[in-house]
Amino acid sequence: MGLLKEEDRKYLTSEFSKHIKNPVKIIHFTSESNECMYCKETMEILKEVEELHDLITLYIYNFDTDKDMVEKYGIEMFPATVIEGEKDYGIKFYGIPAGYEFSSLIEDIMDVGEGKPDLKEETINTLKDINKPVHLKVFVTTSCPYCPTAVRIAHKFAMANENIKGDMIEANEFPELSQRYNVYAVPRVVINEDRYFEGALPENQFLNEILEALKEG
Amino acid sequence: MELIFGPSTQKSSKREYDAIVIGAGPAGLTAAIYLARAKLSTLILEKLVPGGLAATTDKIENYPGFPEGIGGEELTSRMEKQAVNFGVDIALEEVLDVDFLSNPKVIKTSDSEYTGRGIIIATGTSPRSLNVPGEQKFRGKGISYCATCDAPFFQDKEVVVIGCGNSGIQEGIYLKKFAKKITFVEFLPHMTAEKVLQERVRALDNVEFLLNHQVTAFEGEEKLTGVRVKNRETGEEFLIPADGAFVYVGLKPNTEFLKGKVEMDEYGFIKTDEKLKTSIPGVYAAGDVRTTMLRQVATAVGDGALAAKLLEEELGG
Ligand SMILES: Cc1cc2nc3c(=O)[nH]c(=O)nc-3n(C[C@H](O)[C@H](O)[C@H](O)COP(=O)(O)OP(=O)(O)OC[C@H]3O[C@@H](n4cnc5c(N)ncnc54)[C@H](O)[C@@H]3O)c2cc1C
Repeated sequence: MGLLKEEDRKYLTSEFSKHIKNPVKIIHFTSESNECMYCKETMEILKEVEELHDLITLYIYNFDTDKDMVEKYGIEMFPATVIEGEKDYGIKFYGIPAGYEFSSLIEDIMDVGEGKPDLKEETINTLKDINKPVHLKVFVTTSCPYCPTAVRIAHKFAMANENIKGDMIEANEFPELSQRYNVYAVPRVVINEDRYFEGALPENQFLNEILEALKEG
Repeated sequence: MELIFGPSTQKSSKREYDAIVIGAGPAGLTAAIYLARAKLSTLILEKLVPGGLAATTDKIENYPGFPEGIGGEELTSRMEKQAVNFGVDIALEEVLDVDFLSNPKVIKTSDSEYTGRGIIIATGTSPRSLNVPGEQKFRGKGISYCATCDAPFFQDKEVVVIGCGNSGIQEGIYLKKFAKKITFVEFLPHMTAEKVLQERVRALDNVEFLLNHQVTAFEGEEKLTGVRVKNRETGEEFLIPADGAFVYVGLKPNTEFLKGKVEMDEYGFIKTDEKLKTSIPGVYAAGDVRTTMLRQVATAVGDGALAAKLLEEELGG
């Protein structure tokens, strides 16, 4: 133990106490494969986060052997981390939630623990009308200050509407996937395969991109 | 392995403040610290992420107090925590419009509307683009403006860095940890970066310098494959094969939303007097966004402190 400094640990515990009212499950899929760049480190981070609050519980599964859980959560790669509240909202992290993405992880946990996403009224209302599946892939690097904004919005949208799923994908750990989607700058948000945009857009513009994608599709 | 997080800012329902600071870079954060310590209720509005441009730089070596240098994000997140500790509210909202003539002054954001008796504009700058063919097309397909964000995509690749000022050279040195080869292109016949940076970059292996060269186009099919440059002396044009290009050719002020509201210079930087006052009473400008001779963290921080102090006096302490 000891990735987090003592003062940070204290700070996060007190922040979590303010926000977390319902149990938060961190469902983690790991692998012993030596292809996994940061499986060990990812697990270490999650274990430290679990320690920060009584209502947080970490569940660890093996990607290669726990097939039914892999299927239940629709996990495609490892390491994968799902943040679940009263239900599985479709909030996923593929790859290590370190660097700037640690803040995405922390804030997701607070939202899920609070039971509602931190979004504007109008956004929530517009999101309600989306009745087709929307899969958001947010490609990031851990050294990108603008990336958590995009990840967080994708995850908040996932919380607000069950048709929406949001994946953070740490591009370094999944080079083939990044190449397939031609990622050379982050954040890049891919909406249902065909449409994409780059950069951290504010909530309402991000939402517009989704609405446009649905019109096209 | 670093684990980064900022102070979690609780959404405040307050709409009326003594002072509103627009922009949470070093200038805005410093101004807010001083305002809050003067017991003025203070709000910072930030459209992207607190920390500003400074947060996107790998290392800051010339800000006093950190003999080993300090990560840009680390420095600004400390400033942010300090501001929050003194009771500053930070809202992540973009300012879209202002009414500086009403009393109190009105600030319209992407989410809401606020009023403040005094305003400090600290919106900084954004990277300027070159406006040459191919730049729009290959943006995000090889052309990048943020080395710390995108450097990992150019592992063992050939990269061109455009602009040999402080930013270009500094980010180029960082990129060299990833890229196989870097060609630096500079329009002027000499580099403008600090001498220590020049020495450091010249000592690297596999770097080349094309001074007095102008970029004329970005080329490629699906993604960038080369940068076309012209020798400004001989007029000779040629293509530098490259997988990536990082553009550091100067900065443009973030003042679009202030057109017609305060006086600006011909480039859109905000004009101030020596007290950092704009053309409107109760409205100050601080940091990179104003017409000034040096745009650095140290100067931004100095501006922030001064603007806050003078605004406090103007508001009647
Ligand atoms: C690559 C690079 C390397 C650098 N290296 C160094 C260095 O080593 N040492 C050094 O001293 N300086 C360095 N600098 C310069 C330094 O980053 C700036 O001088 C400093 O960040 C200026 O601070 P600021 O607060 O004035 O503006 P900024 O840091 O630009 O902050 C302005 C903030 O305002 C926000 N904003 C803009 N418009 C709006 C709006 N409408 N509504 C709400 N918010 C808005 C922006 O999002 C931003 O967060 C570097 C700059 C770059 C680009």
